[in-house]
Amino acid sequence: MGELANQIVQGVLVGGLYAMYAMGLSLSVGVMRFVNIAHGDLIVLFSFLILALIHATGIGALPATLMTLPIAFVGGYFLQRFLLQRVLGQGVLPIILVTFGLSIIIQNGLLGTFGADTRRVSGGGFETATLRIGGGINIGVLPLTIFIVAILMVLALDWLLYRTRLGARIRAVSDDPATANLVGLPSARVYATAMGIVGVTIAISAGFMSIWTNFDPTAGPSRLLIAFEAVVLGGLGSLWGTLVGGIILGVAQALGAQIDVSWQLLAGHIVFLVIFLARPEGLFPKY
Amino acid sequence: MDALLDITDLSVSYGPFHALGPVSLTVGAGEIVSIIGANGAGKSSLMKAIVGQAGRSEGKIVFEGEDITARTTAQIARAGIALVPEGRRLFPSLTVEENLRIGWEVGRQGAFGFDEIYALFPALAERRTLHVRHLSGGQQQMVALGRGLLANPKLLLCDEISLGLAPVVIADLYRIIPEIRDRGIGIVIVEQDITRSLAVADRFYCLLEGRVNLSGRPTNTNRDEVARHYFGM
Repeated sequence: MGELANQIVQGVLVGGLYAMYAMGLSLSVGVMRFVNIAHGDLIVLFSFLILALIHATGIGALPATLMTLPIAFVGGYFLQRFLLQRVLGQGVLPIILVTFGLSIIIQNGLLGTFGADTRRVSGGGFETATLRIGGGINIGVLPLTIFIVAILMVLALDWLLYRTRLGARIRAVSDDPATANLVGLPSARVYATAMGIVGVTIAISAGFMSIWTNFDPTAGPSRLLIAFEAVVLGGLGSLWGTLVGGIILGVAQALGAQIDVSWQLLAGHIVFLVIFLARPEGLFPKY
Repeated sequence: MDALLDITDLSVSYGPFHALGPVSLTVGAGEIVSIIGANGAGKSSLMKAIVGQAGRSEGKIVFEGEDITARTTAQIARAGIALVPEGRRLFPSLTVEENLRIGWEVGRQGAFGFDEIYALFPALAERRTLHVRHLSGGQQQMVALGRGLLANPKLLLCDEISLGLAPVVIADLYRIIPEIRDRGIGIVIVEQDITRSLAVADRFYCLLEGRVNLSGRPTNTNRDEVARHYFGM
């Protein structure tokens, strides 16, 4: 019994990381109404960037991640303004093709630059510290930190979207870009700012991912799949839903691994499919 | 007096379909100009062309002495032209106040602030924290008009603002239009309801199949003559 409880707790904590992957995707799907196929690859790209920063300067993982945040914001802003914005509003296919192409470019660029080796960033002992809370349940300090940061990110994004002027502008453009232009709100710039925020969530999740899990240049698509499942499970446009979606996937994987290790990933996908068939609009849909 | 808005030989087409023009017209500051015409006469195309949202347009649009023909929609809005669009087009996931605030923030500072808007539309003051989708059609139209006014435009374009509203609500809205004009704002009204529209207008243009076929002052024009030109008889 204690073992089962422990597995569920571990699953919930993994769900925090999955929710973190998914949060930026949730924003771009919910606000800008497009799926960024390169989302996972961008996370991996920033993991490599953090790795390179650490190697070049000798600083720790946390400061390296913090240093990438402004880069991620500016990068997201310009990616949207000068590439993605050009194909938005021209049907669903062009934006998928462009981000798919971006995904291939990132993967091959990373292969060419860093090679195909599997990497990991050291968290300086942080990643192995454990809290024993009795009943056979051990909680890793790193997973717990990630989980708490994921919740803080949802709170921060929720506040930004629903309590600030920038959030009202983003929602206005999301509702109706043409009318936003009509009242003098330049939709392209507002979307670019939103993508900058998505970039920040990508850099944060890249920082945690690079400490907790191995990654290599082709690790992006599997992150995208997890993120996409979490977004769809939670319901489009709902950040809290995305967090719940990530937790459901994490717990499903943890329990699947109890049956057999090969069931770990499969269990997540099966649970996703079952919930998707029963509730295609997701658990907490906004639209 | 120089015109606030001066349109010369404006044409609009969507692919092979010729929707408007060439038309030339002017609107002065503190003047209500009514555009009348049957369905498909080109009224909405004219409105869209002024704010830079028509498919393909030719001709020249001069606002306050500056050529705005090639500007983007957002730039035109910031220059001081507010369109209250057909169908209201509010932001449904925003509250009343957030919708109004968008107009206020991107606009110019001037006579209209939140207090003035809530005084003009007391129904909105009580509902400022509600999402606009919970409002009646008339209240939504008030938000759309308020959003336009809060930008403190020099030129206000009203596209079919009475469409689908109860007569008492329409009367309310039209009571406010002359008050806005008296503050020196130029107003263009597009309506299918000729009586309503001509009653409030200082001048009018009648469009038929994309061209102006009659213009003048309502007071000097015979109703039968307007009706004949309206229907092209």
